[in-house]
Amino acid sequence: MHVAITGAELLTCHGGTDTTFAALAKGVDGSQGLRFYDTGRINVTRGYHVDDSADAESELPLRAGRWLARCVLGAVRQAGVDPAAERVSVIVGTGLRELRAMERWAVDGVPVRRRDLHFTTAVREVLPEVTEVITVSNACSASGHALALAQDLLAAGEADAVVAAGCDAMSESMLTMIGRVADAPTPALQPFQEGRAGVLLGEGAVAVVLRRAADAGPGALATVLATGLSCDAHHETAPDVGGIVAAMRDAHRRAGVSPHDIGLVLAHGTGTALNDPTEAAALDTVFAGAAPGPLVTGIKGAIGHTSGSAALMSLLVAAEAMRSGSVPATVGLAEPIEAAAGLRLVVGEPAPCDARVAQVNAFGFGGVNAVSVIGVDR
Amino acid sequence: MNSDGVTVTAHALHVPDPIGGFAATAAGELFSSVAPEPACGPDQAHTVLGRKGLLFKEDATRLALCAVHRAFALPPGKLTEPLPGAEHTAVVVSSNVGNARTVRDIVAEMRAGSAHDVSPLNGPNASSNVIASTLAIRYGFTGPNLMVCSGATSGLDAVRLGALLLRGQRARRVVVVGVEPDDEVARGLAALRPAAPGTALPVPLRAAAACVVLEPGGTGPRLGGVRRHTRPDDIADTLAPPTALRLTAPGAPGAGGGIDLTAHLGEVYGALGVVQLAVAAAWLGSGQPSGPGGALITCGDGEDGYASVRLDPAVVPALAGGG
Repeated sequence: MHVAITGAELLTCHGGTDTTFAALAKGVDGSQGLRFYDTGRINVTRGYHVDDSADAESELPLRAGRWLARCVLGAVRQAGVDPAAERVSVIVGTGLRELRAMERWAVDGVPVRRRDLHFTTAVREVLPEVTEVITVSNACSASGHALALAQDLLAAGEADAVVAAGCDAMSESMLTMIGRVADAPTPALQPFQEGRAGVLLGEGAVAVVLRRAADAGPGALATVLATGLSCDAHHETAPDVGGIVAAMRDAHRRAGVSPHDIGLVLAHGTGTALNDPTEAAALDTVFAGAAPGPLVTGIKGAIGHTSGSAALMSLLVAAEAMRSGSVPATVGLAEPIEAAAGLRLVVGEPAPCDARVAQVNAFGFGGVNAVSVIGVDR
Repeated sequence: MNSDGVTVTAHALHVPDPIGGFAATAAGELFSSVAPEPACGPDQAHTVLGRKGLLFKEDATRLALCAVHRAFALPPGKLTEPLPGAEHTAVVVSSNVGNARTVRDIVAEMRAGSAHDVSPLNGPNASSNVIASTLAIRYGFTGPNLMVCSGATSGLDAVRLGALLLRGQRARRVVVVGVEPDDEVARGLAALRPAAPGTALPVPLRAAAACVVLEPGGTGPRLGGVRRHTRPDDIADTLAPPTALRLTAPGAPGAGGGIDLTAHLGEVYGALGVVQLAVAAAWLGSGQPSGPGGALITCGDGEDGYASVRLDPAVVPALAGGG
């Protein structure tokens, strides 16, 4: 069942929706020197912060929930949804929850409440009458999973409107593990770039309001045709071509489209040794008979890897690219890796695009894959 | 029966060391009657699972693996190939603090030296979905894989999402697991929450895991729709018909006659809804029930709200030609 996006808001290192789209169009790298962390110890020096602190030393608590609440409220207002008058569910996808607050409590003694580790409280503070808030912690494809569940809730008639959302703030534990497996600090996140060094974390939040397409009325931002899900059941950290292909084909089958119909792919594109060739191989497999194949771009070189938010951020960028007819270039990419030679990657400057159907990829630790297919009227 | 109906086709409880001991309470008697064997703790999980692959697995992951292993009635040791039907099987896990200790340890070890003092094998455990993905890897479950961390309602949220995956034809079978550890970080976090209404002190935290297997149109007890509500006894009309068993939220006032399993088990937080459902399924299958209907289950708390679901007895098919 198709669902319409009737409201949306996102927040990244570049700011809100409009300023983020503008930064992507100009190819701005939003990375900065990392704040709040002892960069020498963690072996990570850069990231894509949401700058909500008063000064370089002040780290506000519960940042992810605050950004989430802002985006959910903004999207609901844009959509004109009234949670007091109809059944509104909120599905939050997050990679790192509020684990940063838990770390500060456990190691530094900064007060926290157990209930703050999930997002019911944060959402209900701005929208007390929503029917429910469910938090899905599905690593870096979390908001793609939230989107799939939102569609299923609407299809089952269990909600009148659903807010699918994502949020993530950096955690010291995840930064530590990224630094642990790197020889030296990664200077830049460069999706599909030859000689790329690895991933850098981004921060932010995103929310979209969904209704059954038949109930949405005119003016929808985009239509979500389907989201396919799969699990590799293969490896805790390494992605698997077979599992990713399965999610892509599940998405196409559910959407009722063929690879020929898809004109644009928003890649997961983490700039890591494992993701980029695996994702390229999966795209080669799925689009093998669809020459010349879709344009492919990624946004993590501009906004960092925003973990649980990444899927829905890519989705909104895909919708904007189709509406505007211009696909942002992949920031950080100049010379693609050999494994990506078969892809029509957007390099250097924005590419004109008349696509009306796009695919959005998101893959996470543990081999959890979510692939969405969206369409726009032009 | 309705072919769209979701049924519980297998279940298991894996609860080491419940607090009640031999005290004769309704909760203790119910739990002991459906789970008479004591479950091993996470440090003995190898007796169920075999030793291979457990290095660097957290307590919650080990307990979750044990619950799934027992739900499928598998012999001790690691499987040599995926379970039959694994490629169409989804996994939904509920746990709020499953990896909190590991996250704390990573930061503490790094702060004491540097990132290079932290084992890279702890990397996957920094991501909260490690329990669900570990289950998928060990048993070959390639259907959708969800980790639910929604607080006190998380267990029945996971059940609800599992049923949704079946109705959306995303899987033919869903393995739903609720699990929490009782390590020092989980206990520290638990100590921060207010006491349940009507109790002087919070009940102690205890490790627990439970597994229920959901399938469409099976022959097991029938799962109703999960409903959310803001007061513990504010049950919707669809849940209202009489039940022979009532399992309440911890310390819920106004739910007279119901059984609060946490009085026997200890607080099991995100595991509770799944533990309650497994207890109800085991009770319905034990031959004990009498009276109308099945079980009505409620989990949640005053901060996160409440969720309820009915589990009704399997419909016994009429004999062919029977009158």
